[in-house]
Amino acid sequence: MIPLRLKSECDRTLAPFVTRIAEEEPRCAEDATLWSEEAGTLGYQTGQIKFRLSDVAPAEVAGDVLLVDPRRQIAHRLIRAASPHNTFLITEQCDQLCLMCSQPPKPQHQDMFDHFLAASRLAPTGAQIGLSGGEPLLHKDALFAFIDAVFATRDDLCFHILTNGQYFERADLAWLRKHRARLLWGVPIYSDNPATHDEIVGKPGAFAQLSPNLALLGLAGAALELRTVVLRQNAPGLPSLADFIARHLPFAATWAIMQMERIGYGRMNWGRCFFDSSIDFASLGAAIDLMRARRQDVTLYNFPLCTVPPAYRDLAARSISDWKQKYLPACATCSLRDDCAGFFEWYREEDGFMEIRPQ
Amino acid sequence: MQIWPLRFRDLDDQRTILADDSGAYFLAESGFVDRYARDAITPPEERFLREKGHAFEWAGDLAHTGFLTRWSRRQHVGGGSAYVILIPTLRCNLKCSYCQVSRAPLAAQGFDWDSETLQKVLGFLDGLPVEEIQIEFQGGEPFLRLDLLQAVAAFARRRFQRVRFVVCSNLQTLDEDILAFLDSEDVLISTSLDGPHQIHTRNRTADSALTKNFLSNLERVIGLIGPARVSALPTIDMDDPPDPEDLIAAYEAFGFTSLYLRPVNYQGFARKSHPAARTSTAWNAYYRGFIDTLIARNALTGRVMEEFYLAHCLRRILAPGLDGHTDLRNPNIPTGANAVIDFDGQIYPSDEARMLARIRRVNLAIGNVSDGLDQEKLALLAPGHINNFDPDCIHCPYQPFCGTDPIDDLSRSGRIDVPRQDSWFCQRHLAVFDLAMELIYSKDPAVEFTLSRWFGLETLPDALRPIAP
Ligand code: SF4
Ligand code: SF4
Repeated sequence: MIPLRLKSECDRTLAPFVTRIAEEEPRCAEDATLWSEEAGTLGYQTGQIKFRLSDVAPAEVAGDVLLVDPRRQIAHRLIRAASPHNTFLITEQCDQLCLMCSQPPKPQHQDMFDHFLAASRLAPTGAQIGLSGGEPLLHKDALFAFIDAVFATRDDLCFHILTNGQYFERADLAWLRKHRARLLWGVPIYSDNPATHDEIVGKPGAFAQLSPNLALLGLAGAALELRTVVLRQNAPGLPSLADFIARHLPFAATWAIMQMERIGYGRMNWGRCFFDSSIDFASLGAAIDLMRARRQDVTLYNFPLCTVPPAYRDLAARSISDWKQKYLPACATCSLRDDCAGFFEWYREEDGFMEIRPQ
Repeated sequence: MQIWPLRFRDLDDQRTILADDSGAYFLAESGFVDRYARDAITPPEERFLREKGHAFEWAGDLAHTGFLTRWSRRQHVGGGSAYVILIPTLRCNLKCSYCQVSRAPLAAQGFDWDSETLQKVLGFLDGLPVEEIQIEFQGGEPFLRLDLLQAVAAFARRRFQRVRFVVCSNLQTLDEDILAFLDSEDVLISTSLDGPHQIHTRNRTADSALTKNFLSNLERVIGLIGPARVSALPTIDMDDPPDPEDLIAAYEAFGFTSLYLRPVNYQGFARKSHPAARTSTAWNAYYRGFIDTLIARNALTGRVMEEFYLAHCLRRILAPGLDGHTDLRNPNIPTGANAVIDFDGQIYPSDEARMLARIRRVNLAIGNVSDGLDQEKLALLAPGHINNFDPDCIHCPYQPFCGTDPIDDLSRSGRIDVPRQDSWFCQRHLAVFDLAMELIYSKDPAVEFTLSRWFGLETLPDALRPIAP
């Protein structure tokens, strides 16, 4: 696993600050340069502030944007320059309680927008940054203001926002339209049957709220990525959901069908929810066939390649973020390894896919 | 609940096909139309219409927005790329019985681009507002002027980001220079293979030795650049059409997996010598028989041969956006980006328009390479190239998938305002779409096998054949 937090020594009385590890010469006041290198510890300086990072090589952090928390003696790697998978956790609050949530909600909120704004301004050119939660739109006004502020100086950046879609309003249309080229909205839909969807997200009436809000995204011409985690609860209904998407959501740019992540509630509910698509791909295949016939885009996330029948393998993306991805010992000899999503760090063989077959 | 307007057509005496303006279709028993007209559809039918996107509650709800999206995609013909046919020479080394363009003899003078015309053609291409182009060389026999092909190719590869060339050749003669030209990945070959040896000879070469020559050239070209970059078309002479089995076998022998059945076009020399080409009944019957044979054969052999046009029409029914084939799309407004440039530098909206001018029926040139496009004429032609407002098409469930061919109407009837159902274009397309719908709703495993393979699917999803309760 690639660490997202580094041990960092620095004057404990300082307030948290955002800095970028300069790759060569510093380009702005926030850039930090290397001034000492001892066994296991790197010393950096930005302006008058000095701080140290432990257990990391200079090349690994070059270009990274860090949030240094002096009180806790930690540096959060907000943006790793070498990675396409950078996400800001906007809040841990959420109004839904999804069965397989990998990031279970917490009641309190810590506002980090100032740090995120500073970090975005230091991001590599053209970067796409994920915004997730919890439910980011619980803090919609602050979130939209943050995005406006970023684009005011950095219109080369894009945000991929994961939201449960419960909080859009007609009044947002103009704003959504204005930024449509730079925002990709990832919105979950688990079933076209409202009862099934509501059961999975743990909120009565969620589907009834989601439906008109998806229409708003369509009317805004927003880029929409529909996201469906396959579960025992919704797998048989996938062909019907595909038909619903083709007819009612043709404006979605893509439909991501995802395998479960065994962490958070996902670990707690694994036995009740995990759908082993390696031994039964029929409903997935039928759903994909329909999308292909209707010429709508589908992607498979988090599916090890050998669990997908050959006819659908071209849809499987290497989707698992680099810092939490792994392979199994059996994968060592597999010819598909370089294209394979592999597994989440917290995947367990004993209650995972029955059929993992190196190719 | 509001229902979007539905159009309908009986498939047989029990079943009716209905479709809305977005191209969403379904099958119903014939009583449905009656209830629909009397505003008396049953609650299960209402639910069905709502689920399938034929109805909405309020403007701006999800069903309404989904419908608007599907509808708008049916009205939009993707821009950004051009499709231009070039005729560098009208001369040909064959004299096919049905020749569509009234070709010029091999030794004739004044039927090729001169160097000034070439420069102007390049200038015209340069001015197209696109970065992607497909250039098709037709003739005559384009390879008689390989030098002109080379000049266009060299220019286009510099000027455009993406470019593809299709040479429509009779492959009667090959030499080292031609083979070298074919060696580039962006060059494709389209040729005519009318079926077994004797039919090909009768229709095209009139000489068995020439046919042998062609067949061995075709084999050589396929060996050199692979079957994926070579396509062949049979032109069917309805006075004496080939047996479908023989025709398919002839294509399979070369490793082709697709063929595009075309009737002899009622233009050029063919107008005089092929009266059978006038009626659609014979063609439609032959076509249907051919498809039956093809489907049965695919099921038997497990190999899959495609009839391009039916497969294309089926794909157009299932989804919007299949507008690459300029013979069937809507709207199909003539512009410079879809034009034919003749041997004399005249620009036509389509190959058929060029032929009409050639036989002096009516001059449909939309400009020439010296003076550019004639905007007045383009504006005059535009309305005829939209089927949305045609008094017959507006009642037809196939309108969203169909197209128009006013040039063909003009050629056959001398006018473009003939009642649709009297036109060859409409008769042919009603038959193709009827057939397509029958196949979509067929439960015959042989049909399902062929269709799923044509669509690139493992199985045929049931959602592609909705039936009202
Ligand atoms: S054996 Fe491992 S690397 Fe190979 S396809 Fe399966 S999961 Fe991927
Ligand atoms: S031309 Fe004929 S088949 Fe086509 S839409 Fe018009 S009426 Fe229907």
